[in-house]
Amino acid sequence: MAALVAVLASLPAVIGALPASDARTSAAQLRAAVLASAAVPFSGFAESAGGLDLPVTDQLTSVADLFSDRTTMRVWWRGPQDNRVDVVTAGGETGTHRDATGTWTWEYERGTATRGLPTPLALPEPPDLLPSALGQRLLSEATDAELSRLGARRIVGRDALGLRLTPQEAASSVRQVDLWVDGDTGLPLQVQLFGKGADRPALDTRFLDLDLSEPAAETIAFTPPSGARVRVAQEADVVLEAGRRIRPVPLPAELAGLPRRQLGGVPPGIGLFGRGVTLLAVAPLPARLAGGLRDALTQSPDAVADSAGVRVAAGPVVLMLVDPPGRGPYVLTGTVTLDALAEAAAQLPELGGTR
Amino acid sequence: MIAVELRKLFRRPRTWATIAVLNALPILVAVLLVLTDLAPRPGQGPVFLSAVFVNPALFALAALAIVLPLFLPIAVAVVAGDAVAGEAQAGTLRYLLARPAGRTRLLVAKLVAVLVFVLITVLIVAAVGYLVGTTLITPRPGLGNGGTSVSGTSLTQQELVERALLAIGYVAISMLGVAAFGLFFSTLTDSPLGATMGALAVLVASSLLFTLDAASPIAPYLPTRYWLSFVDFFRDPILWRDITRGMALQGVYVGVLLGAAWANFTTKDITS
Repeated sequence: MAALVAVLASLPAVIGALPASDARTSAAQLRAAVLASAAVPFSGFAESAGGLDLPVTDQLTSVADLFSDRTTMRVWWRGPQDNRVDVVTAGGETGTHRDATGTWTWEYERGTATRGLPTPLALPEPPDLLPSALGQRLLSEATDAELSRLGARRIVGRDALGLRLTPQEAASSVRQVDLWVDGDTGLPLQVQLFGKGADRPALDTRFLDLDLSEPAAETIAFTPPSGARVRVAQEADVVLEAGRRIRPVPLPAELAGLPRRQLGGVPPGIGLFGRGVTLLAVAPLPARLAGGLRDALTQSPDAVADSAGVRVAAGPVVLMLVDPPGRGPYVLTGTVTLDALAEAAAQLPELGGTR
Repeated sequence: MIAVELRKLFRRPRTWATIAVLNALPILVAVLLVLTDLAPRPGQGPVFLSAVFVNPALFALAALAIVLPLFLPIAVAVVAGDAVAGEAQAGTLRYLLARPAGRTRLLVAKLVAVLVFVLITVLIVAAVGYLVGTTLITPRPGLGNGGTSVSGTSLTQQELVERALLAIGYVAISMLGVAAFGLFFSTLTDSPLGATMGALAVLVASSLLFTLDAASPIAPYLPTRYWLSFVDFFRDPILWRDITRGMALQGVYVGVLLGAAWANFTTKDITS
C-alpha cells in the first residue's frame, strides 16, 4: 500500500523530469520561427501567473488583476484575426472572440456582450497574456545582440527550446525574458519575465494543454445570446478623447533617452516611447480618474512621493502620476526604472523641464 | 448482505431526516427568492442561482451548488463515519462478524450502502430542486430562453438536460472521496462522531488550503480541488480538463483509502 502511494505520488515528478532534446537552432533562427508562428492554428489551455500588485483605481481593476492574479485561459486559434480566448473562473468566464472586423467580449458574470472595434490604443487584455501572443510581441523588436540560447525543457509534452532576451536599454526595468519555444512550430510555450533584482518571474505564462489541430470555425464565431445586454466598448475612446481635449500639447520626440514611437490615429498629447520590452506610455488623464489614482498610489507602502509626483514600482512595471498645479494631471507607466521615470517626468512639456 | 445493509440504512429515520434537512436550505433559498424577487447577478452567490428566473428548471443545479460546499459533505461524512464505528459503539459489530460472511464482505456491503446513500441524496436534492424551481418560480418574460451556456452560446433543451445529468453524476462522484475518508476513519475508531469529524477536518483543511496561493503546489491533490468543476459542463465546448482530473483524483482517494480501510479492518481486534 505504501509503495503504491509512493509510486502514485512520484509520477508527476518523474514525468516532469523526462529529458527534453535540444536542437541546434540559433537564437536568430528561433526568433524568426516565433515571429512566423502567429498563423499556426492550435487550441489549448494556458495559465498565467503574475506577481505584480499594481495599486490602481476601480476603473482599472481588470488590468491590475491581469498582472497580480493567476489567469486561466482556454484558447482556440485559427489566426491572428480569427481566434477565441476564454478566461475561465470557478463560476463564470469572460470570452473574447476576434474576427477581422473586431471583437466580441462575452462576460457571463454581467450577462453582457461588448463589441470592440479595432483602436490604435488598447489596454492589456487576457488574450495578450497567452504565451504565444506575448512571446511574439516581446520578440518582435528584439535585436540579435539581445538574444541568446538557453537549453531545452519539456512543456506540455513537447520539446521547448530556450531563448533569452536581455534588453539593452539602461532605462529598462526588465532584466531578462526567458521564452521556451516549440521546436516544430515556433510557438512560444512558456514566457517568463524577470524584473531587475528579482529571482522569481514577475510574469510567468505557459500552456498546460496544447492541440495543434485547427479548431472549428463555429467554436470561435459568436452571436450575442437573446436576453444579453449588448454594448460597445469605450475604454480606448476615453483615453483618446483625453489626449485630444484635455492636453493637446505635443510630447517631445524623446523621454529619458527613449525615442518616441509613431502611432497612427493617436493624438499628439499621448505618447509611447521605447522599443521592444522597454516601453513608457505617457497620457493626460481626466481629473476624476486622477484623484482616485493618486489616492491608490499614495496608499501603497512602496510609493515614492516628491516634488516630481507620486510614483510606485510593482516589479518591473512602474506607474507615476504627475500633477502640476492648475494644469491637469499626466500618468506615466511602463517597464522602466523609477529613476528613468522621474527623469521622463521632468522632461514633460509645461513642467519646467527641458522643452 | 448488501441488501441487509441498504435496508438498515434506509429504514433509519435519521437517514431520511438528514436528507430532509439537506433539502430544507435550497427550499428556503427558493422561497426567499420568490418573496423578495431578488436574484443574484450572474457570477455572484451560489452558481446558477442567477439563472433560475430565466429557466426555473436550473434550480435543480442551483440547489446542488447550495448544498455542495458544506451540507452535502457533512451528510455523507455522518453516514460514512457511522458505517463501522456505529456498529462498534452500539456493540453490534461482533455479532455482525460472527456470521460466516467475513469482514471483507461486511466492508464492501457498508461501502455500497454509503455509495447508494450518496447517489440517492444527490438525486433527491436535484429532484426536489427541480420541483421547487418549476412550481415556485415563474420565469420572467423577455429574458430569452434559458439555454444560454456560461460561454454565451445557446444550448438546446436536450443539451441542457444531458449536461445537467452529467453534472449531477459528477457531484455524486465528487462525494466519493468524502465517503472514503469517513469509512476509513470509521474502521480506525469506535466513535462514529470521531470518524465523521475526522472526515470533515480533512475537508475543511482541503478547502482552506485551496484558497491559499502558497499551497498551490499541492492544490491539484486536494480532495475538494475539483468540486466546483461541474460548472465546466455548462461551458461550450465542455471543458473536460478539470472534470477528468476531478474524477481521477476521487478515484485515487477512494482506491487508496478503501485499501487502507480494508487492511485495517480485516486485521483489527474487534473488542466491542
